[in-house]
Amino acid sequence: MPLLKLENVTKRFGGLVAVDDVSLEVKHGEIIAIVGPNGAGKTTLFNVINGVFLSDGGKITFEGKDITHLPAFKRAPLGIGRTFQIPRPFGSASVRENIAIGGMFGAHGHRMNVDASMEMADHYIDLIGLKGHSDKPAGGLTPTEKKLVEIARALAMKPKLLLMDEAMAGMNPKDIDHMVELIKQIRKTEKIAIVSMVEHIMRAVAGLAERVMVMHQGAKLVDEPTKEALSDPRVIEVYLGRPPEGSVADR
Amino acid sequence: MVFDQLMGNLIQGLILGGIYGMMTMGLSLIFGVLKVVNVGHGQFIMVGAFTALWMFNSLGANPVIAIPVAFLIGMLLGFLCYYSFVKRLLKGPELASLLATFSVGVILEETVKFIFGSEFRGYNWALGKIRIPFTVLPYTKLIAFSGSILIAVLLFLWFKKTRAGTALRSVVEDSEGARVCGVNVDWQYALSFSIGLGLTVASGVLLTMFIPVGINPNMGGQYTLKAFVIAVLGGLSSPYGAFFGGIVFGLIENGSYTLFALLPHVEPFALTRFLSFVILLVILLIRPTGLIRTR
Amino acid sequence: MKNPSTKYLPLAPVLAGYLFLFLVGENMEGKWQLIAMLAFYCALGQAFNLFMGMTGYVDFGYVAFLGVGTYGMAIAISRLSDKGLGLWLLVIGLLMAIGMATLLSLAVGAVALRLRGAYFAIATIGVNEGFRYLVEGARLWGGSEGIIFTAQLNEAFGREFANVLATYWADVALFVIAVFAAFLTLFYMRSKIGYALTALREDEDAAKVMGINVTKYKIIAFITSASLAGMIGAVAWALKLTYVFPPDVFEIHYTVEAIIIVLLGGAGTLLGPIVGGLIYGLSKYYLAVILPGFQLLIFAPIIIIIIVLFPEGTVGVLKKRIQGTFWAKIII
Repeated sequence: MPLLKLENVTKRFGGLVAVDDVSLEVKHGEIIAIVGPNGAGKTTLFNVINGVFLSDGGKITFEGKDITHLPAFKRAPLGIGRTFQIPRPFGSASVRENIAIGGMFGAHGHRMNVDASMEMADHYIDLIGLKGHSDKPAGGLTPTEKKLVEIARALAMKPKLLLMDEAMAGMNPKDIDHMVELIKQIRKTEKIAIVSMVEHIMRAVAGLAERVMVMHQGAKLVDEPTKEALSDPRVIEVYLGRPPEGSVADR
Repeated sequence: MVFDQLMGNLIQGLILGGIYGMMTMGLSLIFGVLKVVNVGHGQFIMVGAFTALWMFNSLGANPVIAIPVAFLIGMLLGFLCYYSFVKRLLKGPELASLLATFSVGVILEETVKFIFGSEFRGYNWALGKIRIPFTVLPYTKLIAFSGSILIAVLLFLWFKKTRAGTALRSVVEDSEGARVCGVNVDWQYALSFSIGLGLTVASGVLLTMFIPVGINPNMGGQYTLKAFVIAVLGGLSSPYGAFFGGIVFGLIENGSYTLFALLPHVEPFALTRFLSFVILLVILLIRPTGLIRTR
Repeated sequence: MKNPSTKYLPLAPVLAGYLFLFLVGENMEGKWQLIAMLAFYCALGQAFNLFMGMTGYVDFGYVAFLGVGTYGMAIAISRLSDKGLGLWLLVIGLLMAIGMATLLSLAVGAVALRLRGAYFAIATIGVNEGFRYLVEGARLWGGSEGIIFTAQLNEAFGREFANVLATYWADVALFVIAVFAAFLTLFYMRSKIGYALTALREDEDAAKVMGINVTKYKIIAFITSASLAGMIGAVAWALKLTYVFPPDVFEIHYTVEAIIIVLLGGAGTLLGPIVGGLIYGLSKYYLAVILPGFQLLIFAPIIIIIIVLFPEGTVGVLKKRIQGTFWAKIII
């Protein structure tokens, strides 16, 4: 049974079709990269999986359970975590409190009281390397630190599936490599599947994902293992904007 | 007999509704453009009422002259408020702008109370009446109604035909796009805010033409609620929806008054006020974006 | 940190403050009226803070809950005074006040709490007026004339004790309510409820994605805040004045004061409403000597300044300064 299954999911905003008849499957423990230009519908797809928007058509199943019409706050404890492109930590709360909140209402929330959540938060603070910042208000952190807190907070929810939206945007190559290592470590220790959305960071895709999915104008264009995707002319076109025929690679 | 009374009241309600509509246009304009709810709305109407009162009693001026004066006062207050704090609160939490506009309302009310005292006042602009089927209409009410329609039409033309109006519409549609096209978005916001307040203060004058008594510093609050009901009826962002919403509201208010007056053991006036509140909640429950589509 | 005594340490300054206030009132000649007024404002601030401070939503119709609480007590006393219930009469009155406030909050909340920010404000702005006009329009509970129950209170407790009740014990009850409100606030802040409220206040959509049922927590805060207001109305207005009159108890003026107190002191903090209540109450009292009726005109622009420059209020600014020190554990 796949972890997450989307069947013919569609989302419209007025006349605009943001997500167009998308079907995909994510298996337990997989790492997938979704690539595509701005406006391809990637964030909307995440929002639909999360429950921020309810889909207009199609079916979403998580671990066999139909979650198509479930509100967002009910999907989270089932095991779906999410980070946002521009980090949205709870600014006036401390780093520890932010991460603890993830624990309190996440998949294990029902058996975690406030103190247990705080302990769990400390564990994740170590993991992301922000020890010493535990009591700082999250609003005062640097963008990269905020991203790390986002991830830790999502992990504290003990998700089985983590949706990461442009986690590496705006980072220099060294930070990207760190993040790639962090994600790999997370996958190993937490045993979760990660769907990562990246716009154009080849490093991340190549080093991380087992499968690549390309989206274009709301629809799924390509869905294949990374090795094939890297030399697939359609994928290259998305990244470099060159037509597949008569390309430089041919000469 | 009841039918006659009902029809008479409905016609009066229609006329009053036009003024209610005009009274709400400013609120909808400000929300449509800046996404700010002016919680002090009623107090601006009160300022207009006092403008008319003072100009009539102290200067002997015809209330019609008070209309543009009131509009200017509103615009001045608008620019003052926008540049001193509203501008800064646009990007913040909603709570901030709600509380700020609410506080402005309190300041206006207390200031007017300080200058004029709390007593109920009025003025007497008697022009005679005209007989129409079912009821009698004082000329003053007719003038107020025509004034409301005229202003609404002028606003419509301004939006559609002038460069300034078009620039404003572009900002509502797509502020980033407008910015790229060279539109000074900040100025448009200031302008909309000020025009919105200008309309609101001017409507206070028209209101007193309709009801020239009971003018006091505390009168604003009831009109804030009415304006909200009307705005929500007509779709909170649309000034034209607000106008039609006003007419609908005027009809409901007067119609319900007639009906309540038939019931024993009730106070019809108070129940009508309660009804407007219930209408507000019902609309918010079923369709917060408004019952009237004016797109 | 896991020690329960440190968890409730922040109550120390609260209790100390109220105790000090009470002792001043008891021992200084002629100051009891002032102290009672301060206690009222602090209690009002704390009750209001539980909703506005912790959720970030403004309920412009808040005074309605004080109003129905007043009616709850008034109805109990005026109808049951001849049943020989002794002090249980007051308990019943208090329970009715809480019950009525809770019912009203459920009715209003059912509509208003589904709405976001601005729409919520619009929904609530007419609640106090609306309810007042319902009472007057349908001639409920005395209609526009209200209820006067001085005689019934005398009947139930004898003239002398009734007088002591109204002039002393009603105010003492306010202190008790204020302390209770502080305790509730801290309890929420330290529990999942408080963290859920913080999350939804900061970013409601992100909170939902974290698994927080925002509507449920908004309702909890709303009902708690409303019930406390009902209690305050029951003692500070009904018991103290022995009459209830619709235009008085549904007057928006009190909501304005509550907003000022919470913002001035620091929305969402424990000590904020107390600090705000003291500043506002003292200013109003002493201003009344030189410039009676002016306090709103002075405070309204202050509110705008606070919103623009110091949105976190007095205690909020203080908290930033003492961050990382020992005091940060006590002043929250």
